[in-house]
Amino acid sequence: MKTYENAQYQINPLNGQVSSISVVIDGLNSCVPIDPANTDYANLMELEREGKIVIQPADGEQQ
Amino acid sequence: MPLTYFQPSQVDSTFNGYLRNRIINGAMMIDQRSNGASLTAANGVYSLDRWFTWASQSSKYTVQQNAGGVTPPAGFINYLGVTSSSAYSVLAADYFGIVQPIEGINVADLAWGTASASTVTLSFWVRSSLTGTFGGAVQNSAQSRCYPFTYVINGANTWEYKTISIPGDTSGTWLTTNATGIRLVFGLGVGSTYSGTAGAWAGTQYISATGATSVVGTNGATWYVTGVQLEDGAVATPFERRQITTELQLCQRYFVQWTGDSSATGFALIGTGYSSSTTSMVFAAMTPTTMRSTPTLTYAGTISIIDGGSAAVTSFGSLYKASPSNFWGVINASGGGLTLGRGAVLYTQNATTSYFRADAEIS
Repeated sequence: MKTYENAQYQINPLNGQVSSISVVIDGLNSCVPIDPANTDYANLMELEREGKIVIQPADGEQQ
Repeated sequence: MPLTYFQPSQVDSTFNGYLRNRIINGAMMIDQRSNGASLTAANGVYSLDRWFTWASQSSKYTVQQNAGGVTPPAGFINYLGVTSSSAYSVLAADYFGIVQPIEGINVADLAWGTASASTVTLSFWVRSSLTGTFGGAVQNSAQSRCYPFTYVINGANTWEYKTISIPGDTSGTWLTTNATGIRLVFGLGVGSTYSGTAGAWAGTQYISATGATSVVGTNGATWYVTGVQLEDGAVATPFERRQITTELQLCQRYFVQWTGDSSATGFALIGTGYSSSTTSMVFAAMTPTTMRSTPTLTYAGTISIIDGGSAAVTSFGSLYKASPSNFWGVINASGGGLTLGRGAVLYTQNATTSYFRADAEIS
């Protein structure tokens, strides 16, 4: 299983909607799209459900 | 010269046409991530394209394209090579293996999980420093339907051709979407918890067959494989040759890497756009082929932006648009060397340690 650290939602400034999650995967800066078919997104959602990671809200958003 | 018309009865029924092999990169030609370098196995880490490692314990073996530099079987130029890093005694819940998940769309016609399930045949060339009975398994996505299999390696350090016919599973859930449909596993050492009776379907999470040889149990042991083919029908046909362009495109549905090389001009262009501040760029890039899903983007080493000035990338910002075929968004940089509004290019350094990845793999 990959390691996921420092996860934070990112807002699309064009529509104000969450568009991705910036996260460090196995030590590398990464950008995970909001797509249930994306394996990393699915892993992050599972880790969050299990309480193993906290995905920080986007800058300027309330948690 | 008169035209000749063939009747269907004249066509060899064992020939199922082009793309009959459901395995991608079965000849082990494509190695985008490692480019021939050795990879230390960890759980769920991709090695050669479409092949990933299962390892309940890290660092027990390495994987490398053409490891050991032996001559591949006739007609092949590459193989996937495993080398054991220690003499590890496999515990009951341990598992080590080489895995390829096959996308459900590509096996939907096999109708597994229905009364019409087709028999498939697995064929491959294998070579090991060990002899004896080895194992593996075919699984569904949830690992709730598993078929352990065995094959025998008779001579040490000799390429041997193996074929295994597998009756289609008439029960269980077999996905026919863009998620994992069928998962093929070659076991390299699997404990009793995940080992089952060979040659029978089971509703238990099996990764290999009971009693199979443990490659990771012998320090320095080797296990090499190539020419892997999984096809519809009870007969193994000759390995399906694909042109390198086709094979690469098939791999790039799941993974694309833009990599620099060490030559003076070995920079790889990732995308273009404009500088949106002195420390950021709005970039757009396209993937060479439409990917399985919207990919995860990752970079390593120094990735640079040049707009007349230059800056090194430090993080991803917001995505404006992302799809399986293109993406555009903000990428941040340090140093303040950019100028707002200038056209800009995003590129790797001229080093293999500098790369940008789009990953839509399954597991």
